[in-house]
Amino acid sequence: MNKLVPLEELASFVPPGSLVGLGGAWLSNHPMAALRQLIRDGVGDLHLAETMGSMDIDMMIGAGLVSKVTFSMVSLEAFGLAPHFRRAGQDATIEITELTGLALNTAFEAGSRNIPFLPLASLGLSDIPDRQPEWYAKIDDPFTGIDLLAVKALRPDVALLHVRRANARGDCQYDGPMAIDPEMSRSARKVVVTCEEIVSDDVIEANPHMTKIPGFLVDAVIEAPFGAHPLTHVPVYGLDAWELRDYAAAAADPSTWQAYLTQLRSESEAEYRERVLPPDRRRVVRNLARAATTLDEATA
Amino acid sequence: MTYRIDELMICRIAREVDASGVTVLGSFTPLAYASYMLAKMTHAPDAPLIGYNAIGMRPIELNLTSAEAAAYRGAAAHWTFIENTQTVHLGGRGLVECVSPAQMDGTGAFNTSVIGPYERPKVRLPGGTGSPEVVQNYEKIIAYFGSHTTRGLVEKVDFATGGRFPVSADARRKRGLLVGPVWIITPLGVLIKDSDEEGFRIESLHPGVDVAAVVENTGFELGVPDDIPETTVPTDEQLELLRNHIDPFGTSQFDFMDARSRAAYVDDILAREWARAEAMPDA
Repeated sequence: MNKLVPLEELASFVPPGSLVGLGGAWLSNHPMAALRQLIRDGVGDLHLAETMGSMDIDMMIGAGLVSKVTFSMVSLEAFGLAPHFRRAGQDATIEITELTGLALNTAFEAGSRNIPFLPLASLGLSDIPDRQPEWYAKIDDPFTGIDLLAVKALRPDVALLHVRRANARGDCQYDGPMAIDPEMSRSARKVVVTCEEIVSDDVIEANPHMTKIPGFLVDAVIEAPFGAHPLTHVPVYGLDAWELRDYAAAAADPSTWQAYLTQLRSESEAEYRERVLPPDRRRVVRNLARAATTLDEATA
Repeated sequence: MTYRIDELMICRIAREVDASGVTVLGSFTPLAYASYMLAKMTHAPDAPLIGYNAIGMRPIELNLTSAEAAAYRGAAAHWTFIENTQTVHLGGRGLVECVSPAQMDGTGAFNTSVIGPYERPKVRLPGGTGSPEVVQNYEKIIAYFGSHTTRGLVEKVDFATGGRFPVSADARRKRGLLVGPVWIITPLGVLIKDSDEEGFRIESLHPGVDVAAVVENTGFELGVPDDIPETTVPTDEQLELLRNHIDPFGTSQFDFMDARSRAAYVDDILAREWARAEAMPDA
């Protein structure tokens, strides 16, 4: 079964108003090419859900396409607070649902098991469970009576994930970090993956232990080289920190941000790669993925 | 050798890391990362370390562009974040975790969510990732601050993203939780809380710091024992490892800078990382 579709058809899987689960974590593996396409197509009123977001969520808020975010962290780390997320939170322009990280993971897990909730140990002094009664409820362990928290299941309408390689059936492999992508793929009602490269079934079957998402969970496969750029996709490329820094600078000011958005909307994904990744930059970010020696190697 | 204050704090945190439990690199806490690498390179080579869900990672150089790639090279296993956190965080195998909150109060509640009222905050902060669960479940919890002021160490946090309760050993055992204290480490000293009946007390003062400075710059009531030891200073070996191998770009100084100096510092680090990657031969 051939599930290959061009990036330009992504929007047909993500109707406006969708609850979209985003793959990746921190500054790695977010489905950036897919999000750039949603920006080109202006798919809005989205509810984004993700445990550890960064530029992905921030860029979508900045593009005006987000009405709600369910998250446990959104940060650009060394590159500062996420500017659009910060402003949207301060001005209450979008609905912000902050959950604790492992509870959010647990919510995806409950979704993947098709049950309404899963229990989690109590959370000490955290104000978050009381603040989010739609997501947490106090329950007693039916066997011992100890107090626990029930966390409600979360099932995204669609999960957008970026993987190292996939075949036309949608079998997906990772060589590096995979955040909670495999679990999210099981909780989502639809799964669309972008991948660094499309490969034949033989390539997948030569290393089946690397297949973390089987094709029967996947609805569409899109080839998108540098699909996590400017974030990392280890071991193919490290962080394009120069582009991320430029993003943070552009996002800090409304006029520079409009120019950034206009540029993104005016070009195809291939044109984006040509513009942002000239040969020297492309070479550097690839080298970064293998530049880092471990210290026992360095000091041996 | 003369040391910087962040280096002293790194060495103090490193002491808590050993092979009795698993230590995980949390969200962007460079000072903590340096501590874990230092422990691995000195007294605790067998301490199991997890970074970015690379299980059993080797000690790595800290930088802004490729630390994650290094963690994945030579790791014993690649797990998902859920496999990792179920096993370590929820499974009662977590040893040391550091948090770097905007605020902490005398109950041990910490805030990485908002400054000001929750619904319309003055500053919307990133949020806590899994820190509320981690702080509740790990053995030893360390909150570190780049400055010791009543703005960070407050009477009551604006919002409790998380906070350990119970803290007392008996109460934790009864709930099946690992037993250990909560520390606060700042440029002035080390504070510790190990029971629910009492607040934080001063555990040690860094060289040259007097009690009054700590009490005055702490927004909550502090226990002051009669006899307070001095925090151990870094050895030459530790400083050599930190400066030449673990953190040659000085990322651990991030937590001690304001936003503007941090941006200039990032530019400088990136120029050096670019030059190094550009000079590499092609694969």
